[in-house]
Amino acid sequence: MEEVRAYIPETLKEALEIRSRTDCIPLAGGSDLMVSNKRTTGVAPSFDKPVLIIRNLKELKEISVNGKGECVIGAGCTSAEIAQSSVVPWHLRQAASRMGAVALRNSATIAGNIANASPKGDTPGPLYLLDARVRLTSLAGEREVLVSDFIVKFKTIDLHPDELITAVVVPLSERNFDYIFWHKVGTRKANAISKLTLSQAIKFDGRIVSDYRLSATATGAKTNRSREVEKLIIGKEITPALIEQVIDAFDEVISPRAMPEFRREATRRMIRRFLSVASERPENRVIDTFDGFHVTGQPEPVF
Amino acid sequence: MATVNDISKSVRRVDAVSKCEGKAKYLPDIDFRDCLWARMIRSSVPRGKIIKVNLPDLPSGYCFVDYRDIPEGGHNYLHMIATDWKCFAEDEVRYVGETIGLLVGPDRTVLADLIDRVSVDYEEQIPAVTIDEGLACKGGAFVNGNNIHCHLKIETGENADEVFKRCAKIVEETVETGFQEHIYLETNGACCCPEGDGYVIYASAQCPFYIRKSIAPLLNISPEKITVRQTVTGGAFGGKEHFPDVLCGPLLVAAHKTGKCVKMVFDREEDIENSVKRHPSKVVFKTGLDKEGNILVMDSKVYYNVGGYLSSSFVVLQRGCFHVAGCYSFPSFRSEGFGVATNTFPSCAFRGFGAPQTLFAVETHMCHLAQMQGLDPLEFKSRYFIKQGDTTSTNGKVVEKVMIPQMLEQVLKASDYRRKVKEYKIGSGRGIGISFYNHGGAFTGNGEQSLIKAHCRLHKYPDGHVEILCGQTEMGQGFHTILPKIAAHVLEIPIEKVVFEDPDTSRVPDSGPTAASRSTMIVGDLVEKAAKLMKDRYSKESEFEIETEYEHPEGYPWNQDTFQGYAYLGYGWGVCAVEVEVDPCTAEVAVKGVWSSHDGGHPVDELIVHGQVNGGVLQGIGWASTEVMENTDGHFRQTSMSDYIVPTSMDCPRQGVDLVDNPYEWGPFGAKGLGELVFNGSGAAYIDALSRAIGKKINAIPVPTEKVMEYILHGKKLGEAD
Repeated sequence: MEEVRAYIPETLKEALEIRSRTDCIPLAGGSDLMVSNKRTTGVAPSFDKPVLIIRNLKELKEISVNGKGECVIGAGCTSAEIAQSSVVPWHLRQAASRMGAVALRNSATIAGNIANASPKGDTPGPLYLLDARVRLTSLAGEREVLVSDFIVKFKTIDLHPDELITAVVVPLSERNFDYIFWHKVGTRKANAISKLTLSQAIKFDGRIVSDYRLSATATGAKTNRSREVEKLIIGKEITPALIEQVIDAFDEVISPRAMPEFRREATRRMIRRFLSVASERPENRVIDTFDGFHVTGQPEPVF
Repeated sequence: MATVNDISKSVRRVDAVSKCEGKAKYLPDIDFRDCLWARMIRSSVPRGKIIKVNLPDLPSGYCFVDYRDIPEGGHNYLHMIATDWKCFAEDEVRYVGETIGLLVGPDRTVLADLIDRVSVDYEEQIPAVTIDEGLACKGGAFVNGNNIHCHLKIETGENADEVFKRCAKIVEETVETGFQEHIYLETNGACCCPEGDGYVIYASAQCPFYIRKSIAPLLNISPEKITVRQTVTGGAFGGKEHFPDVLCGPLLVAAHKTGKCVKMVFDREEDIENSVKRHPSKVVFKTGLDKEGNILVMDSKVYYNVGGYLSSSFVVLQRGCFHVAGCYSFPSFRSEGFGVATNTFPSCAFRGFGAPQTLFAVETHMCHLAQMQGLDPLEFKSRYFIKQGDTTSTNGKVVEKVMIPQMLEQVLKASDYRRKVKEYKIGSGRGIGISFYNHGGAFTGNGEQSLIKAHCRLHKYPDGHVEILCGQTEMGQGFHTILPKIAAHVLEIPIEKVVFEDPDTSRVPDSGPTAASRSTMIVGDLVEKAAKLMKDRYSKESEFEIETEYEHPEGYPWNQDTFQGYAYLGYGWGVCAVEVEVDPCTAEVAVKGVWSSHDGGHPVDELIVHGQVNGGVLQGIGWASTEVMENTDGHFRQTSMSDYIVPTSMDCPRQGVDLVDNPYEWGPFGAKGLGELVFNGSGAAYIDALSRAIGKKINAIPVPTEKVMEYILHGKKLGEAD
C-alpha cells in the first residue's frame, strides 16, 4: 500500500517553492484528479507523484479588472464564482454556469478545467474565442500564454515543472461585440458533459463585418478555433453564399471522431443560424439556436 | 379526491426523516466486527474456456474462493426461478463479468493491489452479442442447440393464418428497444456472517426470501439455516430482485471457507458494468387490415435478449407476450416469444418486467398503422380499446371496469391535445403524442397461490403497538408507509403505533417478493384482513397475533402449461401525453409537458402515488431518449453516470398527474398494482410526440440527440410504408 504525500502550502510563495524543488501534481478543486485517480469504494485514490493542494490559496481566489480593462480571474476561482461574477465576460459565465452539477461547480476551478486539456472541457471554448491568456508563475517570474497555445494537444499542456497557473486573463468582453452566441448541447439539461458547444461573436462596421470569432468544443482532439476561417468573413458583407463558405471551411477544421455526422451538422446549422440572424441586425444581442416556437406563432415545418 | 377519512389522504412518509437526516444505515454504513472484504474476479471475455487463473502470492489472511470451495453435496448454481446461472464459473464463461472467484481479506487497499495483479488465461470463442447474432448462432449455439432459452406461443380468436388470407393489406414492422440500467442510488452490496450453525446475510435487496432459497443449495443446507436481514435499500427497480443472489452466493461460500463475516460493496462503475439490465427487445409485427384499414389480425414475434443464462427470463418473456396486445382487443391475435441466448450479462427484472418492451412496440406500431392511413393515432387506437368482459391475450376476460375513456378525457383536457394536434403540423418542430398502457398486477395467473402462498402476521403488544411481520421491503417506493397506514386505518389507531421493520427472515413469514406490483395489492390485502380480524380483540387482549394467508378468488382459472385463462385479475391502466419541442439547429429535444392519468384502483396514499407517477414516467422517457447502453462486443460501453445518461428533474417540467378512482375488489381499500404501470407508457408517448415533431418514423429506442439528427437527415417520412 502506497501512501499519498500531500503538501498544503499556506501562501502562493510557499507553493511555488514546493513546486520548484518537488515533482508534484497541483490539485485545486480535485473534481478531475480525484476521479481519474480513484480506485474503488473504501480505497484511497492513488497518485504516482506527491500532491500539491492549492485549493485554499487566497492569492488565487480573486476576480478583478486590470488597468487595461481585462478581466483577471484567479486560477483557484470555481465555476460557481465565475458564473456569478458580473465582471466575467458573458461567454465564460455561460460556460461556467452550465458545467457539471452544483456540487462540481462549487469545487472545480478554471485552472483545473484548462489544465485538464479535455476537448470536452467547458471553459476553453470561450477562452479561445476571447483570446484569453493563462498567467504562469514560478519563483523565477511570470509569463503569459494564449490558452489556445497553452493547451498543446489532447490532455497535454505547456506547463513547466516549477510553474503554477495563477490567473486567467480575458481581454475581451461582450462589449467588444454586437452579437454573441453560446450554445452547449449537453448529454442532458443539467449535470451534463458537452456533446458539442459553439461560441460565436461578431462585430459590424456599418454593413461590413469587422470582427468574427468562432470556437467549438468536443469536435476533435482539442477545442477548435480557426483564424483563417474567421478571416473569410471579416472585412466583408454577409451574404448567404459567404455563410456557406464559412460553414464549409470550418467543417474542414473540425475532426470529431464519435458522432461525426451529428457534430458536423449541428455545427453547420449553428453557424448558419448565428450569421444569418446577425446579418439582419436584430435588437437582441444574444442569439441562440432558435427563438422558441411561441415567438413565431404558427410554426412552419422546419424539418 | 381524498376526503378527511379517506386513506388516500397523504401522511408524512415513515422513512422520510431518517433518510433526509442521513441517519438511515445502509449496508456500507454498518460496521461488522472482524469483517473480511471481498472483491470479485470476473470474466473479461464474453465467451471462452478458462485455461488458468493466475493469482499473485497472497499474504497471510487473504484467500481466493471459487467453485472448488463449494463443499461436497453443494450445488454450484443460483436458484433464480431457473437454476442454470452458476455461482462461480468453472471451465467456461458466457459473458463479460461472470463471477470466477472472490479475493477475500481484511484490508481493501491490499485487495485492490492484489486484484490488479490477477489475470485469467482464456481460450476465447466468438461471442453472439445481439439478438440477431444469438438467433444466427454466431460462434456456434451454446444453449439448446439453437440459442433459444425459452419459447411460448399464445393466440386468441380465429386462426391468424386463415385471417391473413382474406386481408386486403398486410403490414409488417419491426420495433426495437435497448438495454436499460437501473441506476438505483445505492449500488449493490451484501455481507455474510457465520452465526451459530448457520449464516446471516445482510443485503441491500428487494426479496430476502429469494436470497435464502437461491443460495442455500451451495452449501446443501436448508434455507432456514440462512437468515437474511434486509438493510436500508437505496432504490432497486428490479435490479435487486434476483441480482443480490449473485453477490450473496459467493459471499456464503467465502464465509463458509473463512468462518468470518465477508462483505462486498460494488462501486458505481463496477455495478454498471457487472449487473443485470432490462432485456433489449425486437418485436416483429405482421398485421392484417381489411380494405377500410381496420385491423383483422395482429401477429407478433417477440425476441428478448436474455444473455448467457435463463434465470428469471422466461417469466419476463411471458409477461412480454401477454402485454403485446396493449390496451386493445383485436378479432384475431397471435404472439410467439423467443428468449434468445447471447454472450451478454444475463438480463433480469426491471420495473415492468417484460411488459414495457411490447407495450412500446404495439403503441408505436399502432401509431404507424394510423399514420399510414392519414389518421390521427388517437382516433385509430380508440377503435380497439379493450373493455370489461373482453377476451384477453390469454383467453381470459378483463374482470374489472376499464376506465380508459375517462382517463383519456382527463389527459386530453389537461394537455389540450386536440388543439395542439391541429396546430402543430407534422415536422414543425413541435409535437404532442399519446399512449395507452396497462400492467397486470401481481404474479401471473394463480402464481400467488401456487408459487408464493403469501403469509402475513400482525402482532399486538401489551403497550398497544402493533407490528407487521412480513417479508416486504422498503426500497424508496414508500412501502414502510403504505402497510402501517393500512393497518392503522383499519384498527383506527395512529400510524405511529404500527411498527414495520426491515425484514429478517428468521422472524417474519414469507409474504413473497417485493416485486411484480404485488405488495400493496396482495400483501396490503393480507394486512387489511389481519387488521380486521384484530380489531375486535385489540382493546380486549393484551398480546396476540393474527396470521393471514393468500387465497386466490374462485372462478378465474389459469393454466401455466398452456398460458390460458385469467393471467391477471387486476390490471393497472394508464394514459400519457407528452409534448416536445425540437431545436432546429441541434436536434435537442425539450420536453414541454407531460400529462398522465393512472388507474391503480383506489390510492392508499396520494402523495406516494404521485411520487411513483413522477419517477416512473420520467424513467420511461429516459429509456426512450438519453439512456444509451451499447454492447456490440460483449462489453457494456457506458460505464459511469456521466456517460449513461439518466434524466434529471431539469429534463422534464412539472408533470400533470391525474388519477381515477376504480376500487379493486380484492385489494386493500380498493388498491391495486401501480409501481410498474407508471413506467410502461411514457416512452411511447415521447416517441410519438418526437416523430410528429420531426415528421419521421421512429422504430427503435433509445433516441438520443445525435440519433434525432440522424432521423431528421435520413429518416423515413411519417406515414410512409417501410
